[in-house]
Amino acid sequence: MKNMYGKLLWLLVIFVAKCLADGQDTSVLPEGYVDAAQRSTHTNNWAVLVDASRFWFNYRHVANVLSIYRSVKRLGIPDSQIILMIADDMACNARNPRPGQVYNNANQHINVYGDDVEVDYRGYEVTVENFVRLLTGRTQNGTARSKKLLSDAGSNVLIYLTGHGGDGFLKFQDSEEITSQELADGIQQMWEKKRYNELFFMVDTCQAASLYEKFTSPNVLAVASSLVGEDSLSHHVDPSIGVYMIDRYTYYALEFLEKVQPFSKRTIGEFLQVCPKRVCISTVGVRKDLYRRDPHKVPITDFFGAIRPTRVSTDRINVTMANEDDFVTNEKELPFKKPFKIVLESQFPSEFFK
Amino acid sequence: MGLLSDPSISTQSKLVDGLARHVRKVCLVLYVAGVVWFFCLALPEFNHGTYLSENALSPGLVYPEIRVDANRLAIQLLEELHRERTNHVSTTPHAWIAAKMNEFGLETHTHNYTLRYPFGGGKEYHGKNVYGILRAPRIASTEGIVFTAPYRAASSVHTDISPSVPLLLAFADFARRKNYWAKDLIFLVTEQEQLGMQAWLEAYHDGDRVPDANRTYLRPGNLPARAGSLQAALNIEVQDLEIDYVDVRIEGLNGKLPNLDMFNLVQRIMAREGIASGYKQAPRKKRRHSQSVYEQNLRGMLSMLASQASGVPTGNHGLFHRYRIDALTIAAARRQTHATLKGNPGSAAVPLLKAIEGISRSLNNLLERFHQSFFFYVIVNNDRYISIGDYMPALVALVACAFVKAYLKWATLPSASEMEAAAAAASAAGSESELPSPGEAEPDEPFDLPYGSVLIYLVATLAIGYLCNVLPLQQYFLEIPMGAAPLTTSVLSFLSLIGFILPFVVVLPPGGLELLHVAFLLIYGCAMIAIGLLNFALGFFVAVLTVPLVISLETSEENTKSSFRNSIRLLTLILNPMMIVYVIVLAMTFYQFPELPMQKIMLRAATAAMDASAYGLIDSVIYGNFLYFVVSTVLLPLWILCWTLALSKRRDYADYLDFDEAPSPQPPAPPAQRQAKLKRN
Repeated sequence: MKNMYGKLLWLLVIFVAKCLADGQDTSVLPEGYVDAAQRSTHTNNWAVLVDASRFWFNYRHVANVLSIYRSVKRLGIPDSQIILMIADDMACNARNPRPGQVYNNANQHINVYGDDVEVDYRGYEVTVENFVRLLTGRTQNGTARSKKLLSDAGSNVLIYLTGHGGDGFLKFQDSEEITSQELADGIQQMWEKKRYNELFFMVDTCQAASLYEKFTSPNVLAVASSLVGEDSLSHHVDPSIGVYMIDRYTYYALEFLEKVQPFSKRTIGEFLQVCPKRVCISTVGVRKDLYRRDPHKVPITDFFGAIRPTRVSTDRINVTMANEDDFVTNEKELPFKKPFKIVLESQFPSEFFK
Repeated sequence: MGLLSDPSISTQSKLVDGLARHVRKVCLVLYVAGVVWFFCLALPEFNHGTYLSENALSPGLVYPEIRVDANRLAIQLLEELHRERTNHVSTTPHAWIAAKMNEFGLETHTHNYTLRYPFGGGKEYHGKNVYGILRAPRIASTEGIVFTAPYRAASSVHTDISPSVPLLLAFADFARRKNYWAKDLIFLVTEQEQLGMQAWLEAYHDGDRVPDANRTYLRPGNLPARAGSLQAALNIEVQDLEIDYVDVRIEGLNGKLPNLDMFNLVQRIMAREGIASGYKQAPRKKRRHSQSVYEQNLRGMLSMLASQASGVPTGNHGLFHRYRIDALTIAAARRQTHATLKGNPGSAAVPLLKAIEGISRSLNNLLERFHQSFFFYVIVNNDRYISIGDYMPALVALVACAFVKAYLKWATLPSASEMEAAAAAASAAGSESELPSPGEAEPDEPFDLPYGSVLIYLVATLAIGYLCNVLPLQQYFLEIPMGAAPLTTSVLSFLSLIGFILPFVVVLPPGGLELLHVAFLLIYGCAMIAIGLLNFALGFFVAVLTVPLVISLETSEENTKSSFRNSIRLLTLILNPMMIVYVIVLAMTFYQFPELPMQKIMLRAATAAMDASAYGLIDSVIYGNFLYFVVSTVLLPLWILCWTLALSKRRDYADYLDFDEAPSPQPPAPPAQRQAKLKRN
């Protein structure tokens, strides 16, 4: 009997000690580990850009999504890794006084529906079903490669949604809607299927914050143009076309993105503050609790570009085949080679548009 | 008298008892409530501000692009047209209009139609419309918008609105140069007022149908080209290129209205262009007034209902509503004084052109027909309206009286025992025959109410109403060398007279009057609600006039004084539909010619009323206006029923018993009675 009490006492002591040790562990994490957690770990970038609403008077939503498309493409994500869903064809709408063109500004400087826009899901293909299938990778047999999100555990995924939303849903076309729960489930499946490394969820609709409320998956950073109960508003009208051109949140986000270059040091933390209430009228909502990194230390190109951590080496590197001996035995015997400098050309001639 | 057959012990529910005691009060309260509710609608608390429901319209988002050169074109066209008008005094310069449309690049067609005038021995009139279609450049021709301008010949008695055509053409020329049309635009010039419009619409929608030559009066012919389903229409009636204000006319056939969004759209765009515009807009001089808001609202409301009640469209737009095309007229009035003119006459019509452009671009944005906003509403003020949900209670409260009374009458229909008691009393008082005393009478067969005879009576009255609708158009009547007005009036008066005499000739068996009363109340209530739903103004005005009579009408003789009964009879006579038509026309004549002596006014009103009845009939056969039908086929039979009930002719019970007891030859009785025998052994 006494023996048993003794054993129990021991167990208790061990348990308390273990608890204390656990508590101490977090405070004395190795610095290297903390740094590593803050560092980019992705190997590729994907973007899913969705305009969920149709009809001519929703021109601005198409302009929104095309502008974001233009930005991510300019920052280096190739078309093959951008899934663009546009529910209506504004460029060829019979009411468009500028046929084949879509502008995001009344100045009509940039035709965002330029020559090299690849729309992956168009018109009535933009449905909730297709969107969820796309996210979770459960596309039907025979789906074209360009319509698949072929991301992996190393992918940083940007999801941008725009359209008409309400508390807990986003309307697709004129007939159906995706709920915040469905969206959260879809992203959880993505996590379980190792389809993303980090996910940046950006949404510009009315009551947009309600869409990220149900998220539980890790490594998700979400930003919404308005809180629950608020409307997101449009920015301005082009009186020559006769429609609202762009939404406020996207307008200010673009204003920020336009200044970002592929090697810019801008961070996501700055991006989250692009639209203060005084210009946006709605309050921008941010959800950071699922995200382990400090947004102010995350370069914006982690999501909006395709800049992977690379090291440029001018040194000769030995590449040894598995079953061969190293054929360079003495490095000093090699002929001298001039050191060279790498000049990176900007991918997009943005100076022409200034 | 046995305990069980004691009529003082009622087996009816307490509700019925209570209702029976207070029915007059209940009905009166309902009536007053209905009328008070109606007058309350003019209070700002009871009506709402207008707003645009349809997102697609997005009015005023585009800057108008039409410039002063369009105005110059309009002025030039107007001058040309004036030259043409000297050659075409009483006809339309079709060739000139078609040539201009062709010149501006429209797909131009003409449309011929024929009217076989119902009266006047098959005389035929021919008409011709000109229209040009501007095909939407980048979309299939599945939808269209119509811009119409009625053309009035120089010899017309109506106000000259010839500048509408140049304005329309100038806008067409502008529109031709634009690439953003998502719907075909049809520019239509009609002649002969509403007839041309009606013919064109019928040809557009039913042109393929082979008309039955004997029954159709308007032969619309067919159109060589169409532009898909018409979504909206704008009728333009401009008195001059220099305008003072714009009157927006909305009332259509049978009081139908365009969607409230369309009216709001026009108001929005007009306001943006700085044009004084509104519903029943009056000239500036008359606009200065010191009325209270309530009085203005009430006036606005009543004037709208008054013009709606007749069911005659206030412009060519009204005929579109029948085809579920939202349409309205913008009628621009000539500017009277040039002293206040600010701009130069060279750009006078620019605001109006800009407004037309703005309206057309908004309509062009439509993705489906107008459906978001109200179709049933009353405009109180230019920016305030009453929706159907707010005005219907007024009518429902009025008509509820009829249903409450009908329920009461039904619940207190004379039962077998009462009948016997009454019969016994009659026989006891009357003849000293060897009838079995009521105590001995065995109620082995239940007493039947005379359903059959009442039904036949109802059918007879309805048949009179139906004949009113059909008879004046029969061939043998049309061959009588008589004008349309006297013919229609004489047929109507003759049939009314039959209705007047009917209750004297046909006397319903016992219980029949009560049953007829129930039937009358139910038919009246249903008819009023149905009319009120289709045309609130008509339903409400008729109900306001007739409900007091319906409330006070009583068939039982016991607790009513004879003077009261006689006054009700008088009231019934006054409320004869023909009488009311005459009184309305009389009031209008008096209002229009106050200087004439009374006798002349009455005579003039009589001819005018006769004309009105003929026009009502013509409107109903050509345009499908149902006012004539309502008056002749619904209200006249109701009045006959009402008159029967007010007279309350009953047969003497003793006579009746004699008739029934006699086994052999019966006294000549109308067949209506024979079916309703009181079964009694």
